[in-house]
This record gives sequence, C-alpha cells and structure tokens, in this order.
Amino acid sequence: MSNGNRGSLADKIEEIVSQTLKEIDRASALAELQSIEISCLGRKGHLTGILRTLGSLDPQERPWIGKLANQGKERIKERLRLRQVELEHKELRKELAKETIDITLPGRPVRRGVKNIITSVVEEITEIFVGLGYRVAEGPDVELDYYNFEALNMPPDHPARSLWDTLYVTDKVLLRTHTSPVQIRYMEEHEPPIYIIAPGKVYRRDYDISHAPMFHQIEGLAVDKNISMADLKGTLEAFTRAVFGPEARIRFRPSYFPFTEPSAEVDVSCVICGGKGCRVCSDSGWLEILGAGMVDSNLYKYVGYDPEEVSGFAFGMGVDRIAMLKYGISDIRLFFENDLRFLEQFR
Amino acid sequence: MRVPYNWLKEYVDLSGISPPELADRLVMTGTAVESVQTLKPSFQQVIVGEIKEMVRHPRADKLWICQVSLGHRPATIVCGATNIKVGDKVPVARPGAILQGAVLEAREIREVKSQGMLCSEAELGLGEDQSGILILDPSCQVGLPLDEALGLRDTVLELEITPNRPDCLGLIGIAREVAAIFGRPLTVPSVHVEEGELPASHWIRISIADSDLCLRYSGRLLQGVEVKPSPLWMQVRLGAVGLRPINNVVDVTNYVMWETSQPLHAFDYGKIENQQIIVRRAREGEKIVTLDGVERYLESEMLVIADDHNPVALAGVMGGVETEVSENTSVTLLESANFDPVSILRTSQKLGLRSEASNRFEKGLDPNQSLYALDRAAMLMREVAGGTILKGAVDIYPRRLAPWRLQLRPKRVIQILGCPISKKEIKAILGSLELEVSGEEPLEVTVPTFRRDLEREIDLIEEVARLYGYDKFPSTLPASSGRVGELSWEQKRINLVREVMIGCGLWETINYSFTDHKSMDKAGLKVADPRRHSVAIANPIIEDFSILKTTLLLGLLQVIEKNCRVDKENVFIFELAKTYHPRDGQDLPHEPRALAAAITGLWFGRFWSEPVRKVDFYDLKGIVEELARALDLQEPQWLPTSYDPFYEGKCAWVEIGGERVGIAGQIHPLVIKRYEIPNEVFAFELDLDRILALPTCQKEFRGIPRYPSITVDLALIVDEEVNYLQVRDVIQTGGGKGLKDVTLFDVYRGRQIPEGKKSLAFSLTFQEEDRTLRDEEVQEKVDRIVQELNRELGAELRSR
Repeated sequence: MSNGNRGSLADKIEEIVSQTLKEIDRASALAELQSIEISCLGRKGHLTGILRTLGSLDPQERPWIGKLANQGKERIKERLRLRQVELEHKELRKELAKETIDITLPGRPVRRGVKNIITSVVEEITEIFVGLGYRVAEGPDVELDYYNFEALNMPPDHPARSLWDTLYVTDKVLLRTHTSPVQIRYMEEHEPPIYIIAPGKVYRRDYDISHAPMFHQIEGLAVDKNISMADLKGTLEAFTRAVFGPEARIRFRPSYFPFTEPSAEVDVSCVICGGKGCRVCSDSGWLEILGAGMVDSNLYKYVGYDPEEVSGFAFGMGVDRIAMLKYGISDIRLFFENDLRFLEQFR
Repeated sequence: MRVPYNWLKEYVDLSGISPPELADRLVMTGTAVESVQTLKPSFQQVIVGEIKEMVRHPRADKLWICQVSLGHRPATIVCGATNIKVGDKVPVARPGAILQGAVLEAREIREVKSQGMLCSEAELGLGEDQSGILILDPSCQVGLPLDEALGLRDTVLELEITPNRPDCLGLIGIAREVAAIFGRPLTVPSVHVEEGELPASHWIRISIADSDLCLRYSGRLLQGVEVKPSPLWMQVRLGAVGLRPINNVVDVTNYVMWETSQPLHAFDYGKIENQQIIVRRAREGEKIVTLDGVERYLESEMLVIADDHNPVALAGVMGGVETEVSENTSVTLLESANFDPVSILRTSQKLGLRSEASNRFEKGLDPNQSLYALDRAAMLMREVAGGTILKGAVDIYPRRLAPWRLQLRPKRVIQILGCPISKKEIKAILGSLELEVSGEEPLEVTVPTFRRDLEREIDLIEEVARLYGYDKFPSTLPASSGRVGELSWEQKRINLVREVMIGCGLWETINYSFTDHKSMDKAGLKVADPRRHSVAIANPIIEDFSILKTTLLLGLLQVIEKNCRVDKENVFIFELAKTYHPRDGQDLPHEPRALAAAITGLWFGRFWSEPVRKVDFYDLKGIVEELARALDLQEPQWLPTSYDPFYEGKCAWVEIGGERVGIAGQIHPLVIKRYEIPNEVFAFELDLDRILALPTCQKEFRGIPRYPSITVDLALIVDEEVNYLQVRDVIQTGGGKGLKDVTLFDVYRGRQIPEGKKSLAFSLTFQEEDRTLRDEEVQEKVDRIVQELNRELGAELRSR
C-alpha cells in the first residue's frame, strides 16, 4: 500500500473522531448520545469499521494506525461519559423544576406549649439566687397568725398589722399576706448558715388594677456569722442588675418593716422612661421593686438563735410587679384571667 | 401626711432647699414621698387692692363706683356689694384674669366702664361664702398677687409615714427630721397662754377611772368664744393638707394636731352634765352618736370620755354629737390626752371607725407633748375665737413617762452595717436627732419621750444608718464559703413536670386559689362530694372568692369558658398548683400539689394541607403516658369509673404502680353546656405529691441490637367487649422475651366484620439479642399467639 493510502486512512480516522466529538457536544438528550455511540462505536459503527480493516493493513503501519484509531475511540468514550453526566444533571434539573413548591405557604404548626410568664420570672430569679448559693424553701399558703405576724415581731394589736389587708379563715388562721412566714418556719427547722429563697402565692384583701387578691412573692433569707447590711446591698444589686440589665440604676433607701431592722426599700431606675420621670414611676424616675432589711433580732428569739452570734438579712419582692415592669403590663389582674390572647404574647 | 412646704418653713429654715431636693433627702433618710404637688388656686391674675374711694353709681342706687389702688395705678371698679368700705383690702380681678375657668372681660355697667371686679370667697373658689366681697387682712401688701398674699402658692409633699414614727404625723416631728438631715436648728413655736382670773379647776372636775388605758388627760376652758368661720389663712392651710374647715374652734384643734401630731378635742362645755369629765371604760349597753351621725353601741373594753351620766366622746377616736361645738357654744372645754394605743386600735377596728385622731393614738404618742399642744391650741383659739382662757390647765397625769437610756456599741454599728462609721459620726447623728449621748464604750444614749420607737440598741443603729445614708454603704457579698445552691430533687421533678406539659403543647395557666359553691354547682359536684369540704374565708373580698379550691378542674373549665366567649375555642391548658383540704383537728389544711390539664377544640386549628381534627380522649391519655415516661414511672393503668364532672364511660382512674394518682376523662356534656363550651372537653387532674412519691425506674443502658428484627402484622376479629389491653396482654405473654414491640395500628368496624365484633390490627416485632431469627421460628411464635388469643378471648385471625 502506498503512503497516500496510509495518509488517507489516518485522515479518515481523524475526521470521524472530530465529527463524532462535535456531535456529542451538540447532543441535547441522553438518547442522542446513545445513537451517536452506536453509529460510531457500535458493531456497525464507523470507527469499528475502520478497526476491522486493520488486519488488511501493512504490518508496518498497523501498529500506529491501530493506535490512532484506539486513541480516537478512547477520546470519544471519554467525551460521551462527560456529556452523559452533563445531560443527566440537566435532565434531573428539568425533572425537579416540575416539582417546585410554593415556599411561601405557611409552615405546619408545631404544638409547643407556653410557660406562664409568672413562672418564667420566678425561674429567672431562682436561677440568679441558686447561682449565689441559695436553696429554695416553701411554706403553706394557709398560715397561722403566729407565723404571719406574731413571730415576725407583730404581736396582736401591733399597729403595723394594718399594713396588710388580711384574709382570715379563723381568728388564728389566715391566708399568708407575704412569704415572710417561711423565714420563721425555715429557721425553726434549720441551723445557720442559712441561704434560702422562698417563692409562693400570697393573699391580700385588695382587688383593683394594681392589686389582685392573690399574687406572687419571693422571699430571701441569709443568716450566718457576720452578715451585714453591706452584704444585703451587694446581693440585691447583683440581683437587680441580673434581672433589669447592667444599665439599671439602683437606689437603696431606708424604710420600715416590723421584722427587719434596719430596713430598706430598693428602687430601680424606671424601665419605661429610664429615670426621666413618667406616669408609670409617678414622675419620680424610680420604681420600687423590693423590701429588705437586717433580720430583726427579736425574730431570733422565736427560733432560738443567739443574735450576738449570728446576723442576717431578708428581702421580699413581688413577682407579678417585676413581670409588669419588665413587660409593661398595666393591669395585674391579667395574670390570672388566662386569656389566650394574653398568654400567647409570651410564647 | 400632707406637708405644705411654706407651713413647714415655720419650724425649720428651708432656705436654699427646693421642694424636690427636700423630697429627695427625705426619701433617702427613710420618709417615703408619694408625691410632690404644686398647689394651684382656681383663679389667676387676681391681685390685692385697697379701696381708696367709693361713690354711688349715678344711674343705679345699689351700685358703687370704687377707686381701687393696685399699687402702681388705680382702677375704677363698679361693685354692688354692701360689706365694703374705704380702706378695705380686697381681691381685684383685672380684665384678663381667670375666675373658675372663665376669662374676665372689661365691661360697661350703666355707662360706667368697670376695669375689673372685686371678688367674693366663692368667686375665688376659696370657700362657700358669696354674701359679700372677701375682705383681706390689713397686713396684705397692695399689688401683690392674691395667691401669694394668701400663701396659696405652695408645694405640698405627700409623705408616707411608717407606723413606727407617729411623731412624724405632725409637722414639728417632720421639721425635726429635716433639721437633722440638713443640720439646721428646729424652731418650735413658743406658747404664752394669757389666762383670766377664774380658775378652770373650779369649773370642771376631771378624773381618770381607768388609768391603764389613759396615761394623761388635760383640759382647758375658754369662756366667751365666738364660734364662726376661721380666718382665711387657717382655712387655706387646712385645705392644703386635706382637712375640711368647719369653724374656728374645731379648726384650731385640727391645726394644732397637724402641727404637733397631738389630737385635740373641743367640747361644748354647756352640754357636759355636772361639769364632770370621767375617763372610763364604757358600760355594756351604753351607746353614743358620734360626730359622723352614726349611733354606736359600745362594749366594756372601749374607753370613753363621759360626763356625770353618759359618754360624750369615744376616747381617741371621735367626739359625740351631743357635746359638739356649735354657733351657740360660749364656753369650750379643750381636751388633750394620751390613750393606750392598743385600746384605741381595737375600738377603732371593732367599730370600723378610723379618724385622724385614732390613726395617731393607735401608734403611741408622747404623753409629754399633750400639755404643750393644749396650750398652743388655747392660745390660737383665743386669737381666732376670742374669749378668755380660764386660769390653769386641769392636768391629770398619774405616772410620768421619763426619758430612758440605751447602750450603743460603736463596734456593733460597724458589724451590723458593714460600714466603717466613726464614733464621732455616730455621736453627731444621734445628737442631731436630739438624743443625748455620753460615755464611750458603749455609748450611753438618752432617748427623748417623743421617740417611743427607740427601745433597743438596734433601733439606734438604724437611726445612725439612715441618716448616714445607705448610698454610702459598700456593696459586698456574704463571705461564707462552702455553700452550694441547688434545687432539691423534688423541685427539679416539679420543673420537669412543667416542661413535659409544655412539651406536650399545653399552655400554663395560673388561677386564683379561690372559688365558691356556685362554681361547684355549675360543675355538677354533688352535695356529698368530698371536694365540697373546703376552707372558707371569713372575710372574702367578693362572693366568687369565698372558699379555697379543692380541685383545679373548675378553674380550667372557667378559663375555657372565658376564652370561648371571645371565640378562642381551641384551648389546651394546664395548671400546677396546690389545692386546699381541711383536716379534722388541725388548724391548717392539707395543701397537696395537683396537676390538671384540659383540652378542647382542634389540635392544630385549620391548616391548608390537612383536614382538621378535634381532640379526643386519646390525646389526653397520650399526655399522661408521656408524663409517666418522662418521670421514669411505670406505665399508667386506666380503670373505668364514674366521677364528677366527667362523662360516665369516658372517665378513668389513673393508677401508677398500683397507686391511684388521679382521674381523667371527658367532661360531662351537661356541664359543658352550662359553661357554654361548644366542643368536647377532655381533662385530667393528678395528685402530684403522690406521683412524686412513686418509685422510679432507673434508666439503664442496653446494647444496640446487633441482629435484625422481623416484623409481622396480625389482624384479629374479636367481640366488642374484648378490650385492647386484654388482647395485648395475651400477645405479650405468648410472644415472650423475643417479642420486642407490639403496636396496635388499626381498629375497624363495618364491612366484612360481623355485627358485635371489631377488628384489631397489630404489628409485632421479634428480635433476639444473640442470633438472627429465622422466619419459621417467628411463624411458630405467631401461630402460638393466635392459638392463645383464640382460646382465651375467642379471637379469630382476619388476615396476616
């Protein structure tokens, strides 16, 4: 065979290969690729046909023509594979596009419950004091006059009793007007050091926009060696900042309670106006949030402690009031109406 | 306690101290200030004028044309009043002035132009007198704005006086505080009683029969008083503190009370029988009509002021109508006394009668101040009502109260306050409060009798602390080491219960602890129901809150009722609270903790992708089962029962580990109807204390199974009477250890199932821990189970 013959066979292979590669690139469906593969590499394919004629070639030329043809076959196969992946992706995308959903439709509701806002505030405050090393104590709602008043330094006919409008069951049994009886009950049962808080329901004979006949208080009591008023101040400052935020300013001022001496009331800068003065704080810029003081040494006599040996402080705060201040709720009675339109706001 | 700034100025120098600053310092030393109000008269731009000339109006014989000096220039004013004369000082409203909200205009009265008007008390809103022009005190400065001239421009501090400080229920007491705070001297008005010749003791005999209840009783007599309205300045002051002016005699007693804190009373001496005053306990059956017009029945523990026959006043609380001072009174008996605080408190509480006087006496006043107040009042009364003060006060004071001494350890001050206050500072503070201090370690402190609240060392420490200033204390935390703050196991479990309820989709409610019998009727609790046995409130605020709740269910039903009324019909709520149950022979009730939940309406509301579903019994049951799982308890058992307010046949006791822990079911349709709830309600109430006491199954790790499981479905046909639990028990017993799970996935009645029968479809999962199960093995087990079911319950196989 002549050189020319040889050259034309190589050219033909080249042409088939480049033609096929172009067709592959142009193919727009997997079926097309399949038919290209068959028409080129199939049993009756163009390239297969040439490979079949190799046997009749000059043995000298056979290897390199064969190599040329095989290389061409590999290139086509590779290109087919790549194009197939490409087209598969494209087809999948097309398929998926048909299944597009309206992502703006509302999500399926989850029935998550709601913790009551009072519970949330109690838990928040409890957490702060647990962090400060306190435990949680409890006492009965229906209480003896003895624990609610007498052992808190208010014997019968003490004028300070009128500070609380009391609901009575009998002459000596009442609904506790504050959580302070827990102080006495706990001290009766335990020896110092004592660090407790006591959340619970309390009751007063009052019913208007800022008074509910039942509400919640948290009592605190610390009795140990060498507890001072400065410790009380530091503790309540830490607490107030934790609840009302680090920007809150705190005012610690003298007051009177029959069961603490010296006594204090703690004000926080008004959460509504920031201290400039508004309706909520009656223009004072301050909101009263808790009462506190050094445990009156007379109380120790009721529980058998030596006031020269131990000292302590106590404090009490209205949970509902703190919740009202934190969330700007104007009517305390809303807490006990359980209107879903109220509850759902604290989800 | 209302404190007018200008009035307070009479007792302590306030120069350079503004009302807000005064308020602030009072607050920071322990006297709470409720408000600081600026007094505003109802008129504006009315000034003091002097009538210089008066001529008859040429065209109206009842009118005068007055030339009135206003300081800088005169004004011509037409006036019809008959009580004015040249030289009188009068209030003049110029055109542009505001009187009771209306702007005054210049106008012509019968061709004479009037440049304003002269005003009566009523026109100025100062009183009721409209009979003539208000004639001002000659000392008023012409041209001065009237509000200033009358002292109407003032700021009133409303103070909240704590019950331990009755001395501050008088302006002098407050002035003493202010003097101590600002380091200024206190000025107590001096008294010089100009007495007549007649000795009072000849005209009145005073005796204290019950000296345990009356520490001191002093009286003075004033003869020839003229009872009439008080001078304007006094009326203005009383008005500013909220006391209604009555007449000069009564007003003086109130004025001096406001000044000194000592209540006083004035009797019409002529009405006192036999010129005799006896302070004694009331006799059983005695009565008195008090000044408020109410007839009071007295008890033998109440102290009265009596004449020879009858009570004439309720001691320390209120005077009697019989001896009330009137326009006809010419001789007045003025009383200043000191009564036992407890007695006054009891009397006032028993009669439901509180007064300015009782409010002071019940807190314990200084008996040594009563004579001063009496003299001060007598002096003032002579000034404003005329007459003669009879010679001498009749003063019965059997046991004199003397100042007492207390010891104060400066070290203790530092220890209690945690603040290094020096001995010098301590002495200075106590001195400023008029406490005498001597000695060094300890300090010897003499307490004046007007500070009866200072009885112990700690009381003195408090005085030091509050005047030193809490704001100067350091802030520290208790130093005690080694303490751990944590919740108890039980408290953590309760929090877990709440979390589970919330996780189950319930909203937490908090309801009042109160209820009433009407609500129990509404819920259909029978008369003999033990939950009717409740703790009753002796003085309920309203009938709805007359007893304490014995069940949480009523509260939850009410919440659903209220929400349905505002078209919130899908309600899923719970409450975790105490209930209250009286105990025989014990003062305090049992207060177990309960957990209750109630659900009604659509579980998810309406949603675009699925049909709505109303809640049913099994939603409720699932919650209880989940709770038991979360608390590591045994599986709850459900025992059919009937119990109010539930539906018979849809109600069960809940038992865990053989212990009855509560009730669950569907609320009776009749009850729902009474509450006007449109949908079925399902509810449970559990005894939480009992649940917390149950033994828990410790969670234990088991290896993840290494061999595959085989699941077989089994559909059975059983009689209607056969219940799920019976079938499941037989399956479980038959399946043995290798049966890992039994799930009921269908209950069917209808086509292909005979009448009176139902089909239950189960899916059974078998698995062994040490080998791969063979199909034949499982088949054998299932066959055995089916045989057992057939033998024990008559169950037939429907399909596999």
